[in-house]
Amino acid sequence: MWPRQPSSSACGQADRAISTEYTYVNVSRTGPGAPGAPRETASPGSGGPPGADLGVLIARVARGDEDAFRGVFDHAAGPVLGTVRRILRDPAQSEEVMQEVLLEVWRTAARFDPAAGSGAAWIMTLAHRRAVDRVRSEHSAAQRELRAAVASVDYDEVAEAVEVSLDHERVRRCLTSLTELQREAVTLAYYRGYTYREVAELLGVAVGTIKTRMRDGLIRLRDCLGVE
Amino acid sequence: MAEGRKPPAGRRRAPGRVARLSRADPHTLVGAYVMDAVSDGDRARFDQHLASCETCQAEVRGLREATARLAAAAAIRPRAGLREQTMLAAGQIRQLPPVTRDSPAGRVTRWRAPRYALVRLTGAGRPRAWVPRLAVAVAAASVAAAVVMGSAMHGAESRLSLAQGRSHAIAAVLSAPDVTMMTAEVRSGGSATVVMSHRDRALVFTAADLPALPGSRSYELWLMGPAGPRPAGMLPAARRGMSGPMVVSGLARGDKVSLTVEPASGSARPTSPPILMLGLGT
Repeated sequence: MWPRQPSSSACGQADRAISTEYTYVNVSRTGPGAPGAPRETASPGSGGPPGADLGVLIARVARGDEDAFRGVFDHAAGPVLGTVRRILRDPAQSEEVMQEVLLEVWRTAARFDPAAGSGAAWIMTLAHRRAVDRVRSEHSAAQRELRAAVASVDYDEVAEAVEVSLDHERVRRCLTSLTELQREAVTLAYYRGYTYREVAELLGVAVGTIKTRMRDGLIRLRDCLGVE
Repeated sequence: MAEGRKPPAGRRRAPGRVARLSRADPHTLVGAYVMDAVSDGDRARFDQHLASCETCQAEVRGLREATARLAAAAAIRPRAGLREQTMLAAGQIRQLPPVTRDSPAGRVTRWRAPRYALVRLTGAGRPRAWVPRLAVAVAAASVAAAVVMGSAMHGAESRLSLAQGRSHAIAAVLSAPDVTMMTAEVRSGGSATVVMSHRDRALVFTAADLPALPGSRSYELWLMGPAGPRPAGMLPAARRGMSGPMVVSGLARGDKVSLTVEPASGSARPTSPPILMLGLGT
């Protein structure tokens, strides 16, 4: 859904906010976010100046610029991986999907239309769709769960870098401004990959209500994020 | 729709049945749509609605920015080494050219097979089950080959692409922004999957576990439109239970995909009752 149309000012605003640099805080069993814990900023690589707009980087990727692709990776891989992991659970498979998504960005960068939305929205849409498609393919479900169970045994031992950023805080705060039903509908759909029918079933709420809550919840989220 | 009311029982649909969006107000689906919380049928219908609804397009754009923020808030740091692996893999993947003014609609763009599906992720010493994932990758590659076969139906010059198979272009369909997927049971056994782009008016057809036919008979694919059936090609013999993929372009409004059993040489019109009839929501 990237019709060629000028983006509204609201979108432009969101776009700028999305290009915020990600800051990673190493959260491990030994030092969860303590002051002075190792802090590292994701480097945009030689792909561009810090904070370079993802859309600009994608335009350079379209011309075969590998440095720009490195920059895209630095900006997008963390959000893509985190989102995919929430849906798929299996760490190995999530990495695989993350890689596929980034390579899809590389391959189709020339088809990105900045007028139709931000680079981040483009990439995250690809990523979410791919994760959901995979999770819904019943074919792989059993294997995935098995692998996830096996993998989780050692995965918990691994220190996981959780991204903590202004974005993260802002989103968390905006989510709390939603009604409980809106928030549940949005997070079950987006972070767990459920369909609105499944969400309705889980919450014991009419399908039509869930559809509506997903929409007005996202609208409220958008407005809340937009004003900041 | 009263808040909190339990949905009526028995509304689960059989796989393959395309859900009908409420014609009255498809807008309500926009939130579920941008979060991929819809069935393939819902998606196809909403896509169709979206194409002619500028308000919805603007709303979809805005809400996608919001969901991108949800993604950003979930970010975790990729393992060291993934970046360079991805860079390495990218070096082997041909990039799609931009769409230009003179790109004909439904044109299949040349690209290299999705070899990146096979990119090995070197784990930190963790043993991993490779075989299933490779199988998935192979399936993806064979779907890629299908688009090629479809384009071959439109002239001898593209017949070359049959041989070149994977070096050609499913991409136009699979990477179309409006790509949708539908599956349906085939009446005589097995199932069919259609991956389709309304924008490109093209689809990729695959079938699984179709009953074997005697040598004198073959499966033939059709587009059934208001003006009657158009042959869309003979399904190649199944390999390991998979038939196709085939690419069909030139979809028209109201088309359905249909499958019949025909003499192996093919028929100009169906000579047996359809064993599959799948509406495309075009």
